[in-house]
Amino acid sequence: MAKQAIRVENLIKRFGEGDSLVSVIEGADFLVNKGELVALIAPSGAGKTTLLMMIGCVAEPTSGKIWLGDELVYDNEWLTKEQRKIRREKIGFIFQAHYLIPFLNVIENVTLVSQTNGVSEKESNAFAMELLEYFDIADKAHNLSSELSGGQNQRVAIARALANKPQIILADEPTAALDTERSVSVVQMLKKIALDQDVAIIMVTHDEAMLPFCDHILKIENKKVVSHDVPKSSKLI
Amino acid sequence: MINLAQKDIKHTLGKFIITAMGVGMLLGIVLIMIGVYRGMIVDAKVLLDDLNVDLWVVQEDTLGPFAEASRIHEDLKNSVRVIDGVEKSVGLTFQNLQLQTSVKPVRVVAVGFNPFDKVNPINPKRLVEGNILTHDHYEIVISDNIGFKLGEEIPIGRNLYRVVGITHGTVSSGGEPLVYISLKDAQELQFSYSNNRIRSDRARGIKDSSSNMPMVNAVVATVRLGYTTDEVAHNIRSTLHKSVYTRAEQRDILTKNLIERASKQIGLFTAILVVVSTIIIALIIYTMTLEKMKEISIMKLIGIPNSMIMKMIVQETLLLGFLAFIFGNLFSHLIYSHFPKRVVLEIPDAWMLFLVIMIASILASLIAIKKVINADPAAAIGG
Ligand SMILES: Nc1ncnc2c1ncn2[C@@H]1O[C@H](COP(=O)(O)OP(=O)(O)OP(=O)(O)O)[C@@H](O)[C@H]1O
Ligand SMILES: [Mg+2]
Repeated sequence: MAKQAIRVENLIKRFGEGDSLVSVIEGADFLVNKGELVALIAPSGAGKTTLLMMIGCVAEPTSGKIWLGDELVYDNEWLTKEQRKIRREKIGFIFQAHYLIPFLNVIENVTLVSQTNGVSEKESNAFAMELLEYFDIADKAHNLSSELSGGQNQRVAIARALANKPQIILADEPTAALDTERSVSVVQMLKKIALDQDVAIIMVTHDEAMLPFCDHILKIENKKVVSHDVPKSSKLI
Repeated sequence: MINLAQKDIKHTLGKFIITAMGVGMLLGIVLIMIGVYRGMIVDAKVLLDDLNVDLWVVQEDTLGPFAEASRIHEDLKNSVRVIDGVEKSVGLTFQNLQLQTSVKPVRVVAVGFNPFDKVNPINPKRLVEGNILTHDHYEIVISDNIGFKLGEEIPIGRNLYRVVGITHGTVSSGGEPLVYISLKDAQELQFSYSNNRIRSDRARGIKDSSSNMPMVNAVVATVRLGYTTDEVAHNIRSTLHKSVYTRAEQRDILTKNLIERASKQIGLFTAILVVVSTIIIALIIYTMTLEKMKEISIMKLIGIPNSMIMKMIVQETLLLGFLAFIFGNLFSHLIYSHFPKRVVLEIPDAWMLFLVIMIASILASLIAIKKVINADPAAAIGG
């Protein structure tokens, strides 16, 4: 079985044209395998979110190549018109804020994408309950997100990202809203998910304390995205 | 499958219902407008149907007393009566009167008829109290909505008229209440000159000619069994130099000539109100969509197809239109009886409006849908 989950080759992203041209990424080359949790670190404004949005088929790159699994999805242009189908079938998104739909309750938020993918209501509800139990918020399944705390909402958002059984999870600062203890438990959880479900996870973080849980690190330096090993010193014993 | 429209509306139920009630009142007014028009058509036919005669003989080259001034000699009824196919014929007068009630003057239409003749314009089914005229003079049968009671005396002209009967639902073609007086009284009120005029005429050597030639506004006739109204109308036309109308023609004169302009007026009003309602529904749905723009972007970002989001918007619009339609019907049924003139609410009109509102709702959702299609999913995480 192939191990490749995400591969990016000479990816370039520029905004605007002429005088107002802003160059953000001038060459990203890296590989993320299934089962890996990878950290993406760079200063603010370096292009982390931009990179995730390109891998997530939300924002169009300027040029380059993107593979999701074995499928080449971008080769200087989108190779399919249905990026949204790719998103809902292959990718789970976690953002800095939870971005739950306020008029849907917790379990509806979690099952929305899988039900859209054609999974029966019964089946997706059962899986969602499993996830909610895993995140220790099953008792809130029928509450609205406005009735939950920030940390609870973030866990629901992670459950939502997992509910469509994605091959890839793109997490943009998932721990920014949480205290250190909660952050560690979320990152441990992501690592466990990566291993258990054979999912590739790219996680943006500013927190060095999270690095020991990661398999390797992507850094944006001089507009280039390069893969680094996790420094030995910070590896967990 | 999760129904997004249902969940969203449940989340903002109170606001949604109040909005629907507001639009509903507008639609209620549309229904009342149509009802006013229907009422005019019904009113126009009351007198015609109560009289139940086949032919109208009126002044030559006029459309008759419902459309313009028509004067003919009363004895024309005798000439009509002898024409082949005529069963009976009588003279009638129609005139506007101003009755002084205790509160304010009321404009009525007075029908003058001979109480001892064979044609009675008072439909016995509409007579709710008292009886029809029994004397030649100073008696009146009056519509109940004017406000006089049985036995009361009303001053008209130089005399007092006693109320002997009360009718319900009797209106002129213009919607004014009807009263019935004897032909002699009516002729005196309509055609006789004032004392001053007679005195000055005498002084100028003009002989008093007003009394020996009684006039009426129309002679009406019924047709003998075995004759068609058209052939009898033709017989009268060829013998007497007068205009003759059948009942159907008289109805056309009333509805076409008198109501057509009103119907255009009301039709235009109704159309404008429907357009305004559509614009309001469109604006409401557009703002409701704008309020949800962030959620819509998130849904697009996590891969929810446009079709599902559009379905939510269209369903919400249709539900809003439907609820507004229900409220509109309730509203119009609550208030229609308080209108001074007749308002007739008909079910087919309501269904017609339903169809129009549903189509309008779909059109109204289009600008919101365009907004959804153009929404940028990346805007959800706004950076
Ligand atoms: N639509 C756009 N048009 C022009 N420039 C943009 C656009 N979106 C992003 N940028 C620019 O691209 C650069 C990278 O933005 P991005 O949001 O990816 O940074 P980031 O690394 O995620 O930062 P942060 O850590 O603050 O979230 C920024 O300089 C930003 O100004
Ligand atoms: Mg960012």
